Amino acid sequence: MKIITCYKLVPEEQDIAINADGNLDISKAAPKINPFDLCAVETGVQLKGLIDDCSITAMSVGGKALTNPKARKDVLSRGPDDLTVVIDDKFEQLLPHQTARILMAAAQKTGFDLIICGDGSSDLYAQQVGLQLGELLGVANINAVSKIISAEPGKLIVERALDNEVEVLELVLPAVISVSADINEPTIPSMKTILAAAKKPVTVLSAADLDLSDITELVELVSVIAPKQKTRQNIVIEGDDEQQIAQFAEHLRKALK
Amino acid sequence: MSKLSNIWVFSDIASRLPEIIAAGVALGEKVSAFVIGTEADINRAYSFGATHVYCLGDKDSQKITEDYSNTIAKVISSSTDTNTLMLLAANKRCKALASKLGVQLQAGVVNDVTEINIDNGICAKHMAYGGLAIAEEKINSPIAIMTLSSGVFEAQVADTNNTGEAVNVAFVEPKTPIKCIERRAKQGESVDLGKAKRVIGVGSGIGSKDNLQIASELSEIIGAELGCSRPIAETEKWMDRERYIGVSGVMLKPEIYLALGISGQIQHMVGALGSQTIFAVNKDKNAPIFQYVDYGIVGDINKVMPALINALKA
Ligand SMILES: Cc1cc2nc3c(=O)[nH]c(=O)nc-3n(C[C@H](O)[C@H](O)[C@H](O)COP(=O)(O)OP(=O)(O)OC[C@H]3O[C@@H](n4cnc5c(N)ncnc54)[C@H](O)[C@@H]3O)c2cc1C
Repeated sequence: MKIITCYKLVPEEQDIAINADGNLDISKAAPKINPFDLCAVETGVQLKGLIDDCSITAMSVGGKALTNPKARKDVLSRGPDDLTVVIDDKFEQLLPHQTARILMAAAQKTGFDLIICGDGSSDLYAQQVGLQLGELLGVANINAVSKIISAEPGKLIVERALDNEVEVLELVLPAVISVSADINEPTIPSMKTILAAAKKPVTVLSAADLDLSDITELVELVSVIAPKQKTRQNIVIEGDDEQQIAQFAEHLRKALK
Repeated sequence: MSKLSNIWVFSDIASRLPEIIAAGVALGEKVSAFVIGTEADINRAYSFGATHVYCLGDKDSQKITEDYSNTIAKVISSSTDTNTLMLLAANKRCKALASKLGVQLQAGVVNDVTEINIDNGICAKHMAYGGLAIAEEKINSPIAIMTLSSGVFEAQVADTNNTGEAVNVAFVEPKTPIKCIERRAKQGESVDLGKAKRVIGVGSGIGSKDNLQIASELSEIIGAELGCSRPIAETEKWMDRERYIGVSGVMLKPEIYLALGISGQIQHMVGALGSQTIFAVNKDKNAPIFQYVDYGIVGDINKVMPALINALKA
């Protein structure tokens, strides 16, 4: 079985600063693999353990952050056999319908039985790429997959946890699934897998290598602005002596009235 | 504000429909609801203010709702209304439906919408960067599709004088149907933390299940619901997922929020910032939570919790 696991590089949230005008400054935020996609990669690795003759290709589309060797090694150290990245200056700030369109072209080029995405990414959290990708490819696709029950050639059975019910679904392969964050705990790469990652093959494609007719801009991003926060009292008592706790309890008691 | 000619609405969860129809009424001259269900469900949609109802048939245990996307897309694309908007509930199922419809109708999609503006084209806002920011997107396609967060519009009040006939729509088989082998109600209690007046949030700092018991005792004394941060629900699995607060969990609006052993990362805080007054206990004086509090104490919960119980019992 040929598995593709998709991932996006996102800025490390801890290092995003907010400018006085509310705009975000991500210049100091290092790119990292979207945490939800780590679950997608891990799902691929676990599936590989269940299936004979299975390979995993990690895949991403985007701008120059994808040229970063450390980020490439990071994804490969988590288990995929090889990596395909589609890099183009035009791909710097893609919206989900565009990402899905490019991934479609790349996936058609490499071939696949199963594509695994995360349910969303921690930056825009649009939660559309896997679903739109599957729909564009004309294959079975679903989101919120919380467990893989079985995989055999041509067929996948998954569990899906929704707001108030759980579904067990049968998907005919090829298919695209998006997994929820609670599907697994991604393993932390060991020194050995990190070293091995450096030797794994990487294919770099550009927009010109893919069959990409015009991608219409169905949606455009107008602004990304930090909301104004409510002003708070900010009374912080330092220390947990009896008296200090009593003071804190008094504030709480007043608020409870 | 001029209105759009028609708003399409759908919710797989009945309780969300009145709010979504309300949005339709506010934004459109007509509100066309898709209903999967019985005569009662059709009447219900009319009573909440739908002007047209399209019935997709009875609920079918073997089908998943997402497989109705082709059927819905066919109705929308054969309609003469242009520049329309389709609104769905912001849950996993409707998000799947929205994306599928987006591709089938070549329509722009925005999820978890918290604000809609139609004055200058169709624009929508939603949370981004784990709650650090609000993104605004403009939809350029003739059909716009959005999943609407709860609480954005005030639910319509039912008026049983509003009635009508539904148009029955034949099912369009999707190219690659997904078979539902089993469907079961989710285990666990149902709580609505989003409606609670007082909430205590427990974080990793709680340390042990025994301490959770003490936090629960405290919550009983002050009449609060118990919630938690993500690690408590997802890593430790000490509490139900329905109880975790934040961008990927529940959004709170209580009068009082008391955070115990929670560091205060933005992804958590977004869910708590709607609280009127925020209290926090954390032993690290540099914990980010203290930037967001009205009242905080730098202290060990092992000491503070029992003392609070004593003080507030009295
Ligand atoms: C995309 C994304 C989405 C996320 N969504 C959510 C979400 O919706 N909700 C959510 O909660 N998280 C979410 N997270 C995770 C979030 O970033 C934090 O990791 C999480 O909220 C941390 O939980 P915590 O504060 O309980 O644990 P920690 O960060 O481990 O903090 C524990 C705190 O307890 C304090 N402490 C320890 N011992 C004691 C003691 N004895 N007495 C007093 N204080 C003590 C410590 O000083 C520390 O500040 C998300 C993350 C990502 C990347």
